[in-house]
Amino acid sequence: MSEDRKRILDMLAEGKITAAEADTLLGALGAPADGPSPSSGTKTAVTGPPKFLYVKVTGEDTVDVKVPLGLLRAGLKLTSLIPPQAMDQINESMSESGMTLDLNNLKAEDIEGIIENLREMEVNVNSKNGDKVRVWCD
Amino acid sequence: MAMLPPTVVNVRIREPDSRGFRIWLPLFLLWPLLLLIIGSALTVSIVVDFVGIIVGARYHDYTRLLLGCMQILAETRGTHAHVHGHDDNLVDIDIY
Repeated sequence: MSEDRKRILDMLAEGKITAAEADTLLGALGAPADGPSPSSGTKTAVTGPPKFLYVKVTGEDTVDVKVPLGLLRAGLKLTSLIPPQAMDQINESMSESGMTLDLNNLKAEDIEGIIENLREMEVNVNSKNGDKVRVWCD
Repeated sequence: MAMLPPTVVNVRIREPDSRGFRIWLPLFLLWPLLLLIIGSALTVSIVVDFVGIIVGARYHDYTRLLLGCMQILAETRGTHAHVHGHDDNLVDIDIY
């Protein structure tokens, strides 16, 4: 037991803080007072950015695609190196197509954030004809 | 950060009425040629960027752009695509 954790529990035992306050403080230390939550028990703790984007289609046709996310990272980083004249043309074409994303504003930390959060993304489509499409990152 | 280009590409295509074919492309045999091309391109881009910096050009990132393109090429390693149609068409592509 760490010193901080012991101190919080002592304060709780002495009645200096309430159980709710102790719970908050223990939570802030990164150690939940009541152990791991049941909902998190089924999912293994996976850290770090995902490595691949998977697309799986099952049904009449079978499609199985695995794309390295490093490709996305390298592609997005390359956007910051595109010559300004070409970038202006790209942004103009994108806005004509209804995409108002300005690639000039895309920063390296944004790219990492996007890729990191892709782990949470999962797309499941079940069509009427029985085809199932699943897109996820891992 | 991987910078090595793909070593092998495996392509398999099969149609319903034929045996189809499988190609194993040893891309690593092309590496010496690629090295020559990239070496020449890098030399030119470094000179162009250097001149660009000296004359105060707005854009002088051709070397980084070239390295970025190489990075994209390298990151294709690990790509896998498998398509099996209902009429027994098959396309399989693996990049190692």
